[in-house]
Amino acid sequence: MSESKFETVSSCVDNFQHNDSTFDEIINDEHLSTTWDRYHLIGDVLRNDTPDILQLDLSAEIAKAIADEPTVLAPKTNNVFALKLKAKIVELAKPFGQIAIAASAAGLMVLGVQSNVAQNNETILPSQIVQTIPLAGIAEPVSLNYPQPDRASQKQAFIEQQRRFRALLSDHQQQIKLGSLAVNVNNTDKQSEVISIDNKKANESNK
Amino acid sequence: MKLLSYVVLLLGISFSAVAEESDSAKVWLERLSNSLNKLNFSTSFVVVKNNQAQPYHWFHGVDENGKELEILSLLNGPRRDILRKDNVVSYIEPELPPYSVTSQQISGPIPAILAGDISQLENSYDFISVGRSRVLGRPAQLIRIEAKNAHRYSYWLWLDQQSSMLLKLSVITKQGQQLEQIQFTHLDITEKPSESVLQLHETELPVLVDIPEEYQQQELHWDVNWLPEGFTQVNSNRHKISLTKQPVEFVLFSDGLVDISIYVNGSKDKQRNADFAMDGATLVLNQVKDGVEVSIVGKIPSQTAKAIADSITIKPPKAP
Repeated sequence: MSESKFETVSSCVDNFQHNDSTFDEIINDEHLSTTWDRYHLIGDVLRNDTPDILQLDLSAEIAKAIADEPTVLAPKTNNVFALKLKAKIVELAKPFGQIAIAASAAGLMVLGVQSNVAQNNETILPSQIVQTIPLAGIAEPVSLNYPQPDRASQKQAFIEQQRRFRALLSDHQQQIKLGSLAVNVNNTDKQSEVISIDNKKANESNK
Repeated sequence: MKLLSYVVLLLGISFSAVAEESDSAKVWLERLSNSLNKLNFSTSFVVVKNNQAQPYHWFHGVDENGKELEILSLLNGPRRDILRKDNVVSYIEPELPPYSVTSQQISGPIPAILAGDISQLENSYDFISVGRSRVLGRPAQLIRIEAKNAHRYSYWLWLDQQSSMLLKLSVITKQGQQLEQIQFTHLDITEKPSESVLQLHETELPVLVDIPEEYQQQELHWDVNWLPEGFTQVNSNRHKISLTKQPVEFVLFSDGLVDISIYVNGSKDKQRNADFAMDGATLVLNQVKDGVEVSIVGKIPSQTAKAIADSITIKPPKAP
């Protein structure tokens, strides 16, 4: 790098030269442009013109910011997508939420809707899929009217099933109470028979 | 030196545990049965299932004539009390007017067999003494009543080392998942029966329900072709389910520890897939096949219930 070039830079900084080609040369030469930066900085310091925070390489910062720009924007588009997704999830989750409330009200914990026993699976499966799709709300955009009666009947069937379960459970407990009676009645009957036989024997031996 | 003595102590414990294991487990259960029949106790426990806790009070005593007196009350919600004077058990429940039955045992959340003859269970369950731990602030012995096959659940019992009383009970699947738990929260054992149970002497119990024996052993129109080994028929009848007024044909099976109810009735639906719900460890299964509705209720795994339901066949109509 020649000494004259630095002089040219210096004269440019001091506004002594206005030749576009020299400016282009300075811009294109990294070494010269840093010298240009440094001379301006020296000048600023001498004139007491420095900002509070010294940004020694502003251009690099700006370049970095520009480079960062797309990644800054990217989450934004993602957010929009996530919002849509969330709305969909809420939509999907809603019918199940209602079911969950009904279930807790019934005091029964529903583990699985269908039991998976191998042999019946093939015939059970297709109808299952047909039923679950409207319930999940995917068919909704096609027709607002279509899923509603189906959902209502599903809900109705579910409530009926819960009622049935509860009735069976309480009847089961009831029958156990009476069932233990049956066993005991039989036992006591046998016992009383044994006693009466013993009595007879006792009577006979008395005779 | 201290460490060495600990090691020796641990070895000693583990050796003695291995030696005693299966024998002692049965002895522990017999001691439990004895305690439940003979001791004067007042106790509280909580049944934990479906993320809910149901608190109970339980009093037991033996009066000077050797008669057992017992009270079991649910403390939350509408009153549910079970009273027992020797061989008369009275149920006070919101669903029905109070009634009494002749029975030696109350039917509550704690399996009645624990106060009975435990050896009935030996065919279907193994008794294993597992180890010691601390329950209800007392040193406790863990005894497992382990199902011999996957058709049933296992029961884990924590017994008080001193009195052999029940301190905790868990119903566990073969995979080790806990379905239901009974945790005692208070236990008082006294020399004399408490005031609460002695009050029973002054209490007049509701009228005895008279059920003719024929009612309990009716012939039904169907057969159960498969059950896990060890279940015997306790009761078969036709009745209406009180909540739905649905007439059903009904059979109750028991293996001593677990009760299985089977309901069969006609349905307006032609076909309905097997559907089930669980209340703690108690499973309710319901399905309709060719217009016949079958329901199974009991503390059994869903596969067992499904297999029982699928094994039911309708008898061909008899020629007149």
